[in-house]
Amino acid sequence: MRNAKWVVVVGTVALALGVGAVQAQQQLQGEYKIGVLEPLTGNLAVQGRLHLEGYEIMRDLINSRFGGVMGKKLVLVSGDAVDPTAATSEATRLATREGVKIITGTFSSTLCGAASEAASRQNVIYWETSCVDPRFTRRNLKNVFRTEIDGIGFGWYNIEFIAKHLSPRLGKKTNELKIAYLSEDSSYGQSVTESARQRAKQEFGMQEVGLEYYTFTTNDLTAVILKLKNANPDILHHIARDQDAILFWRQAREQNFQVKAVVHAGATGYGNPGFGKAFGNDANGPFALLEPGPGLIIEKFRPEGQRVERAFRDAVKAKTGSDVLAGGHQLAGGGLWVLKLALDAAKTDDLDKFRAAVMSLDLPVGSAVNGWGVKFDETGQNSNARVQHYMLQWQNGSLVTVWPEEFTTNRAKWIPLGPWGQRK
Amino acid sequence: MDAIPQLIVSTILLGGIYALIAVGLTLIFGVMRVVNFAHGEFLMLAMYLAFWAFSLLHFDPYLTLVVSLPLFFAVGWVSYRAVMRPVIQASHNVQIFTTVGLSIALQNVALVLFTADARFVRTDYYAVIVRLAGAAFNVAQIVAFAIAIVATAALFVFMRWSYTGKVMRATAQDRHASALMGIDTDRVYAVTWAVGITCVGVAGVLLAPIYPVYPTAGLQFVLIAYVAVVLGGLGDMAGALIAALIVAAVEVVGSYVIGTAWKEVLYLLLFIGVLIVRPAGLFGQRGAEALGT
Repeated sequence: MRNAKWVVVVGTVALALGVGAVQAQQQLQGEYKIGVLEPLTGNLAVQGRLHLEGYEIMRDLINSRFGGVMGKKLVLVSGDAVDPTAATSEATRLATREGVKIITGTFSSTLCGAASEAASRQNVIYWETSCVDPRFTRRNLKNVFRTEIDGIGFGWYNIEFIAKHLSPRLGKKTNELKIAYLSEDSSYGQSVTESARQRAKQEFGMQEVGLEYYTFTTNDLTAVILKLKNANPDILHHIARDQDAILFWRQAREQNFQVKAVVHAGATGYGNPGFGKAFGNDANGPFALLEPGPGLIIEKFRPEGQRVERAFRDAVKAKTGSDVLAGGHQLAGGGLWVLKLALDAAKTDDLDKFRAAVMSLDLPVGSAVNGWGVKFDETGQNSNARVQHYMLQWQNGSLVTVWPEEFTTNRAKWIPLGPWGQRK
Repeated sequence: MDAIPQLIVSTILLGGIYALIAVGLTLIFGVMRVVNFAHGEFLMLAMYLAFWAFSLLHFDPYLTLVVSLPLFFAVGWVSYRAVMRPVIQASHNVQIFTTVGLSIALQNVALVLFTADARFVRTDYYAVIVRLAGAAFNVAQIVAFAIAIVATAALFVFMRWSYTGKVMRATAQDRHASALMGIDTDRVYAVTWAVGITCVGVAGVLLAPIYPVYPTAGLQFVLIAYVAVVLGGLGDMAGALIAALIVAAVEVVGSYVIGTAWKEVLYLLLFIGVLIVRPAGLFGQRGAEALGT
């Protein structure tokens, strides 16, 4: 009798699960294929593979819990864009052989230009989720869209943080703040730095006391640090690539260079986990503008944003075992989610109708993954103010979210930065 | 004026690092007439050796240094036998392609095994700084500079007065005549290559507590080491040391006075200028660049 009862219970559960699965399959009629271009081999492969994994996690989530795209099962077909030449040939292959009408990718500013040009020649939509080269959306290409902000947006956010958060905490008016700019000399570093300089001067009247560009493979930054010591800035706006952040931090300590705050933008340099691994608690202090990290209060998002953010975080944790999302996952997953919203609204991949649907998307901050909102301009660029970004700070070996304060449980520390060795 | 002591110290310490890399390169260049484009990758491998020994076994880099001497001699010997020996009599083009190929292969093996992340050996004493007369000295850099001086002096003595050194110099002057005199030139090349790789292995371990390591870490040092080698005169150890200090001075002082963005331009202009005036380098014998070809 007891066994029979268990048989009934197990059978009922199995039946319910089976029916549910069939219903989920029935809801998705047919497949819709999108091309994904990422560098999967070569020097950029680590980030490229992270992005691909982010797309795949979001694809599975869209299919299993959010009704696919345009009612169809989303399918991804990938290409290896190891360099600009490969990006061009792979974009062409995805369009001509695989027959995709939309290509997404390619994260790197060295690749997105070539890939999108090739997509344009094939009259294919190019949906960029990460590359931050400002020139990407300035070529009058109607097929090009970008969900992430560009380098100019990064500079805009950094100055927003300095003016709205650091300035009052330092007890200075913005026009009393002395700021020095230091940057590696790639198009990324220059675009972030120049946009920050422009906004700091024109909108807030900050006093620029130094500007220095360097090649990121430099072996010595002592001379730069000596000049910075002479300039005596309150804030150092430093855009670093990777190992140059480690070199600068070590040599700044050697030279006892004291500054009240160091502000960076992006997943390189101070935004790279390697910076924390290199210095442990001695990394405490610098800020990096990134996607949301530990401390994020998801309840501050709008209900639809909370739903997808939680589902995405759970899916990433199931895949990686980690509660901390990688930037590549967040950018790729967040970008693919916005593409789903656009396709669902357009109900077609016809370029003109799709473009009209993208332009009409108007979602406030907190509506999507990462707390992003959506409002594209005519160039195909998502709006700085809608693509909510967050300032993270190195605190005791971890990058934690500290700003905007309404979105986080953590608070920025060491403002102003104390002497070296006392930032505990 | 306040910056002058620090600029001098930075020049000396940075020059020491470049010299450490350049001495092995100039030895191979001078004796074998092979442009070793994979020199930076051997440096990178040594930096990884120090990193992993420190991370996994808690070996201090200076302990790893002892291990690295025989290890990199063996790596040099094996790599000569496997890669360089078949092309040692071939044209310079073939040798260049071979060492470039070795360089790319080693970079990508490191990329696959260790990923592109920059890693750093953070010893307990990495932040120990000596301050004297307005200048700051990093202990690891002082050690690297001291060993650069010792290594250069040891190689100079070895090449000038030891029997093997004389044999190597004879082979450098004319490999065919040396062979006719009974010198086993193949063995001389194997020893030269292995000693050169040992030098760069030592350099890599010493650099690990100063600079982060990643698969292309060698490239940022080896280009400057090439400049120092040519500037100092092919095969001239003392010349390489002095040229390394000159390059470092141009880099540090140029960064301070004109701007960091200009420093590569400055030392490459100096390089071109010296080559126009003295093709054999500052300290090389006139015509030495063509010896042994």
